Amino acid sequence: MRDISMILKSVWKSLFLFSAISVIAVSTVNAQDAKEGRTLFKAKCSSCHALDAKLVGPALTGVTDRHSEEFLLKWIPNSQALIASGNPEAVKLFNENGKVAMTAFPELDEAKVKDILAYIQEGEPKPAAGAEGAAGSASAKDEGTSGLSLAGIIAIVIVAIVILVILGRASKLLERLILQKQGIEMEEDVPLKVGVRKMFKNKKFVMFFILCLIIALGSFGWMGMWNTGVHTGYQPVQPIKFSHELHAGINQIDCQYCHNGAFKSKNATIPSLNVCMNCHKAVQARDKYDGEISPEIKKIYNALGYDPETQKYDESKSKPMEWVRVHNLPDFAYFNHSQHVVVAEDAIRKAKGLQPTEPVCFACHGPVNTMEEIYQYSPLTMKWCINCHKETDISGQKNNAFYAKVIEAHEKIKKGEKITPALLGGLECGKCHY
Amino acid sequence: MKGSTLAMNKNKFVYTAFLAIAFAATFTACKDKRSTGLEYARNMYDPIALNPDQPVDTAHVPSFKGHAAQLPPANTKPVGFTEYDEYPNTKEGYEAAGVSMVNPLPVDTINLADGKHLFTVFCSPCHGEKGDGQGHLVKIEKFSGVPAYQTGASSRGGNMADLTPGKIYHTITYGVNNMGSHASQITPTDRWKVVMYVQQLQKGQ
Repeated sequence: MRDISMILKSVWKSLFLFSAISVIAVSTVNAQDAKEGRTLFKAKCSSCHALDAKLVGPALTGVTDRHSEEFLLKWIPNSQALIASGNPEAVKLFNENGKVAMTAFPELDEAKVKDILAYIQEGEPKPAAGAEGAAGSASAKDEGTSGLSLAGIIAIVIVAIVILVILGRASKLLERLILQKQGIEMEEDVPLKVGVRKMFKNKKFVMFFILCLIIALGSFGWMGMWNTGVHTGYQPVQPIKFSHELHAGINQIDCQYCHNGAFKSKNATIPSLNVCMNCHKAVQARDKYDGEISPEIKKIYNALGYDPETQKYDESKSKPMEWVRVHNLPDFAYFNHSQHVVVAEDAIRKAKGLQPTEPVCFACHGPVNTMEEIYQYSPLTMKWCINCHKETDISGQKNNAFYAKVIEAHEKIKKGEKITPALLGGLECGKCHY
Repeated sequence: MKGSTLAMNKNKFVYTAFLAIAFAATFTACKDKRSTGLEYARNMYDPIALNPDQPVDTAHVPSFKGHAAQLPPANTKPVGFTEYDEYPNTKEGYEAAGVSMVNPLPVDTINLADGKHLFTVFCSPCHGEKGDGQGHLVKIEKFSGVPAYQTGASSRGGNMADLTPGKIYHTITYGVNNMGSHASQITPTDRWKVVMYVQQLQKGQ
C-alpha cells in the first residue's frame, strides 16, 4: 500500500513540475521585455526602490495590483506633475510615503515603463536549482574542515594503536607456536593486574618509562614556553559572522573604508555600525535567505535598534556590538598603525615583497582577503618586531618627511650649526606624557 | 625462557616509544584556535585604561553603561573638529550649501592626489574609478542605480555634471537615497579634497 501511495506522490510531483515548466515556458514570451526592464530598473529605480524591501521608496512587488497601469504610466515619468494636478490617488500615495518626492524620469517613454513593469511582475530571475544545491553542499563542506582535520588526526592515532596491538598479539601467538614446536611450553597469559605489577618491578621497563615521561614533558614544556603569549592563529568566535573574504576579497572594498583609523592614528579602529549601514541599509542578501533579511545583517539592525520596515532608528533599543579583540598587544608595548602604513608604506612594501594591488596591511595581517573568519597571522612578538626593524631597508626614501628631517639634522651637525632637542621632535607631548 | 622475556620487552619498548612520541607530537601540535593559548600575566593584555571597542566594567566607570565608545560630553568638541550644522540635512540645506559653500583648499597636485586616493578608497567601490557609476559593487550587482558624474541626472534635480562643490560636500556629509553619510569616515578637510577630485571627474578629466 505504502509503495503505491509513494508512486502516486511521485506522479503528482512530476505532473506538478511539468505544469510549472509549461507555465514558465509560456511566460518566457514576456522574458525579453522583463530583461530589458531589469536593466532599466537597475539603472533608474534601484537607488531608491527594491522589489521586496522598503528602501527610500516602497517595495515594488505587486505594484501593478495596487495601481492601474494607466496611473503608473503617468506617475513614473513625472510624479510631481501628477500630484500637482490633484489626482487623488497620487496625492494619497505621496502622503503615505512620507512626502518624499520621487525623481522625475522624462526619458522613460511608455514602452520603457511597460518593460520595467514587466520586470516587476516577473520578479528577479531565479538561478537554476541544481547550481544552488551544489553551492550549498560545497559551503557545508568548507565549514566542517577544521573539526575534521582534528578528528582525522585522533582517528589515525587510534587506528595505529589498534594495529600495533593486533600485530603484537599475532607475533606473540607465532612465537608461542614456534616455541611449542621446539617442545618448550610457554606459561599462559597472566592477568592484567599482576602483569602491570610485574612490569613495574622490571628495572629496565621503569627506566624506559621514566625516559618516555621526560621526553613527553620536555616536549610539552619546550612547545609551551615558546608559545606562551604568542597568539598566532588565534581565531575567536565573533558576534557577527563577518567575512573578510566576502568584503575585502570578492567585493574588493579597501581596508581603509572601514578601518580608516589605521591611516590616521595609533589604532586601526573597528568600524562603528553606521559604517556597516552605509551599504547594509540597502544590501540585505535576501536572495540567499528566501526573501528574508540575512540573519547576520539583522544583528546589525538589532544592535542599532533599526527597523528596516519604517527605516527609523530607536536609540533606546540600541546596544553596542561586542567584537572579540584578535590582535592584542600587552600594555607595555607601544604600536602606532599610521607610522607604519603611511610613513613607512614604501619601505614595508619593498621589504615584504607586496604586489602593487595588495594593501600594505597584508605585510603583517596576511592575506585578509581570503580569510572567511579573521585570525591573527603574525606572532606580534618582540622578536618579530625587532627582526623586521633590523632587516627593512629605509634608504632611498622619497617624499618622506620623517627621514627628511633626520637628514636635515645631520646636515646641520656636519656644518657645525646649533641643534636642539626641539628640532628633533623633543617638544612632542608624547615624548614625556605617555 | 630468558630470551622470550627479552623479546617481549623489545616489543613493549617499541610500543611505548611509539606511543610516547605519537602522544607528544599530537598534543603539542594540538592548538585550539579559539583560545589565545598559554599566557603569562594576562593582566598585561587587559589595560587599565579603556580599551577601544571593548566592554567596560560598569563598576569602573558607571556612567559609561558598559561600553567604551562614547559621544563627547555635552558642549565639548574634539581638538581640530570642524562643526558643520549650518546646512541641515534638508532640501533647503542642500540648496543653501550648494549656493554658499566654497572649497577652502587651493587646487594643486598634492590636494588632487590626496583626493584621488580618498575617492578610490571611499567612493569608487560604487561610483567607479572614473565616476561613471560603474564601480566594482555595481558590476557584481550588489548595488545599482549609481548615476555617472558626467552624464547622469541628479535625483535632486539637474545634471550630475552641474553639481556645485557645496552640493557634493553636503551629499558626502549626509548621504542621499541609498548612499550613507560618510561624515564619520572622512574629515571635513579630506571631504573638500574629495570634492576637488570629483569636480575634475565631472568634467571627464
